Amino acid sequence: MTIAAQLRDVSQVFGDFTAVDGINLDIASQKLTTLLGPSGCGKTTTLRMIAGYSQPTSGSILINGKDATRLPPEKRNLGMVFQSYALFPHMSVADNVGYGLKLRKVAGPERRKRVTEALDMVGLGHLAERRPKALSGGQQQRVALARAIAIRPDILLLDEPLSNLDARLRLQMRAEIRRIQQETGLTVVLVTHDQEEALEMSDDMVLMRSGKIMQQGSPQDVFQRPANRFVAEFMGYENFFATPEHAQATVRPENLQLIGRGETLNSGAHNLPAVITQIAYRGVDVMVRATATDSTGTAVDLLASVRADSGATSRLRLEPGAEITAAIRPADLVPLAE
Amino acid sequence: MTIRTVLRLPAGQPENPKMTPPRTVQPTTGRRPVLGALAIIGYMVMIVPILFVVAAAFSGGDSLQFPPESFSLKWFAAAASYKPFMTALVSSAQLAVLATVLALIIGVPAALALQRSTFAGKGWVQGLFLSPLIVPELVVGLALYQQLIAGLGTATFTALLVGHTALLIPYAVRVTGASLALADPFVEEAARGLGARPFKVFTSVTLPLLRPGIVSAALLSFVTSFNNVPLSLLLQGRTFNTLPVSMLDYVQKSYDPMIAAMSTLILAATIVFAFIAERTVGFATIFGGINK
Amino acid sequence: MLSKKSSLLLLGPGLLFILIGFCLPALMLLLAPPGISSGQVFARLGRMLQDPYDLTIIGRTMGLGLLVTVLCLALGFPIALLLARSTSRWSGMLLALAIFPLLLSNVVRTYGWLVLLGQNGVIGQVISAMGLPAPQLLYTESAIVLGLLQLFLPLAIVSCYSAVAQVDAGLDDAARGLGASRTRVLWTVTLPLSLPGVIVAATLVFAGSTTAYTTPYLLGGSNQRMLATQLFNYSTVSIDWSAASAVAMIMTVLVFAVSAVSAAVGKKGRIS
Repeated sequence: MTIAAQLRDVSQVFGDFTAVDGINLDIASQKLTTLLGPSGCGKTTTLRMIAGYSQPTSGSILINGKDATRLPPEKRNLGMVFQSYALFPHMSVADNVGYGLKLRKVAGPERRKRVTEALDMVGLGHLAERRPKALSGGQQQRVALARAIAIRPDILLLDEPLSNLDARLRLQMRAEIRRIQQETGLTVVLVTHDQEEALEMSDDMVLMRSGKIMQQGSPQDVFQRPANRFVAEFMGYENFFATPEHAQATVRPENLQLIGRGETLNSGAHNLPAVITQIAYRGVDVMVRATATDSTGTAVDLLASVRADSGATSRLRLEPGAEITAAIRPADLVPLAE
Repeated sequence: MTIRTVLRLPAGQPENPKMTPPRTVQPTTGRRPVLGALAIIGYMVMIVPILFVVAAAFSGGDSLQFPPESFSLKWFAAAASYKPFMTALVSSAQLAVLATVLALIIGVPAALALQRSTFAGKGWVQGLFLSPLIVPELVVGLALYQQLIAGLGTATFTALLVGHTALLIPYAVRVTGASLALADPFVEEAARGLGARPFKVFTSVTLPLLRPGIVSAALLSFVTSFNNVPLSLLLQGRTFNTLPVSMLDYVQKSYDPMIAAMSTLILAATIVFAFIAERTVGFATIFGGINK
Repeated sequence: MLSKKSSLLLLGPGLLFILIGFCLPALMLLLAPPGISSGQVFARLGRMLQDPYDLTIIGRTMGLGLLVTVLCLALGFPIALLLARSTSRWSGMLLALAIFPLLLSNVVRTYGWLVLLGQNGVIGQVISAMGLPAPQLLYTESAIVLGLLQLFLPLAIVSCYSAVAQVDAGLDDAARGLGASRTRVLWTVTLPLSLPGVIVAATLVFAGSTTAYTTPYLLGGSNQRMLATQLFNYSTVSIDWSAASAVAMIMTVLVFAVSAVSAAVGKKGRIS
């Protein structure tokens, strides 16, 4: 696996504020890497440093093995799609897409061919002569994408490209971008705050918080084995408690087994006595909230998702005030680092 | 002291069209008698005097009186052939064009720098570029007369040009700055990312984006300079006169409808001008600073 | 973001021009007119502020300025309000009609009053026709007020329009839904919220009318001097440089002060 870009001890400090704190990151070639995190975590700052719009305060950035730390953006041959799309309003769609090619002195016929190629790839071949302001948000986004792809960049950088789209388009474009990346074999770095998006699209996920990398790995890794509480919470985990072996552990609501008080699951399951506080019937499942006591004696809030057709719903009295036991199989228990 | 003071509106975000609140149906003049009456009085005060000027221009008599004894177009012919007015007209136009061009040459780069960079003291620099707005024009005119003409023996035209250019710079800076602020700030970064060097970014992206602002500023500046009285008052010379000041002089000397006719001619030309303004960027935007 | 070097290149020439072609002459006029020291200017200023003749002029200028401001707002705000809240397709045209006079020179705009108020003017003739003695209309303070009112109404309308337009029209509906009459809504909702913009409009009109030249000159004559016409007199008729500088100083300070108020209010009142 080749490395398209490397960040070595890269920091970005603005006065008192450290936006990016000495991170080390390898971007694998021909893979889609997401920088994921809450706003202010430094993901966009990192992206902009890779693109060259800001210089790291310390550390170095290598692109294709060569030191690019001080290289200005126009010399990096990277394609960037901005959150606001940043289409040139005074040019047609075709001229927008062809802008980078013109700069690279690609001859007329060849340029037109590549512009058509790029537009066809995003499904907008028929809108080549339109002006950006005549396009919908989704169409503008795709033009921005085509414009970045047309120059055949070494890395394609996307800054929250889907956050301005409505829910339906967002889902559509997730699949589109993933498809384009796989078809072209482009190296893509995508910034997002949406963990669903990251899970669906990534080969590699990088979770950031306060300028540091909290966890990096495949979607399966990150989702099934979050390294710490922040990552777990960000990936939608509820239920945080202590066990005799681990100071911090978690379990997904679907994996929290509800059994009667006094019962136990076999196979060394971990048991927490609990009292139900709230029930919500949601059709496919039933959401059960309960208060339990963990191994250190601390009260913890638990959330369990029980399938409506499971044995638990028929066997147990699922109503507020009922005393139950919440049991977790060893395989489902996720220990967390401090 | 008219259009120029429009731009003393406090700096701030130009009204973002996306933020305009939705209009609900409101009753208008018919059901608000007091406001309606005040509004009508207001419009009458603004428009009626001008109507009378036009009416007086058609009089056939030799002195300004109303109603006129007869109707004729003779004063139009007289005004159009009155040498001092025609020369002054050309002079004013030349001065206005030149001052506008200079003000844009200075103001557009300044607006660019002020919008796209940060440095200590930026507020002060911006204030300096807008400072001609807060000094009374008469004072500026006197200052230039004293220092340049009386003090250094500068030519009348040069002193006028300096004064008018200084007067117009705030327009160039504010108006083009506003149009720059409305544009997506990332388009320039996008161009860079695609491989364009800074100068290429400027010519292929920034300048085209600036065009509406530059056109607005040019129209606004031309009108301001052409119509200017206080600044130009003290800077008139034997060889160079501006039209409004010539007309002012004429009023002192003679009480005939010549001024009315000249004013009507100017009014007609201004209406054409206003149409041109409306077709380019929009009349209210340019002269009212109102973004719809 | 531009580099410091590029910024300097872009700003440098303009800065130089403004400093040398504008700031310097203005400062020299105020503080060091030819042949006179700044001490003498200040001394003359001091004398001016105690001289009854000069004080009359200053007082008249400020007083008329204030009156014009109040009238401009009284007439201009209703127009702005009606236009801003109107859904009729004429509102655009009416707004343009209000702005259009700004394209004409003050000479053209004020000249109409000569036609109306002169001895043989329209109003004079109408009154004579009714058998009443023709009153002196021209060369009075009232004439000046009318002229300045006409001059600055468009400005007041434009400023108030911006102020009213940025107040959410939905608030009017909310207030009326709670039981407020239209008048009450105006006084308790619309006006308070557009007040910063209205104050800015007031400062613009005040600054303009206290430093106006053409209109007081045409309509006031030599008996109704205002600061600007007096400045002209000192500069060209009596050629009294220290007096000219002193008057220039008064005018400049006046406009500065008013602009400072405007900027302060504008900053505080911005709702976004």
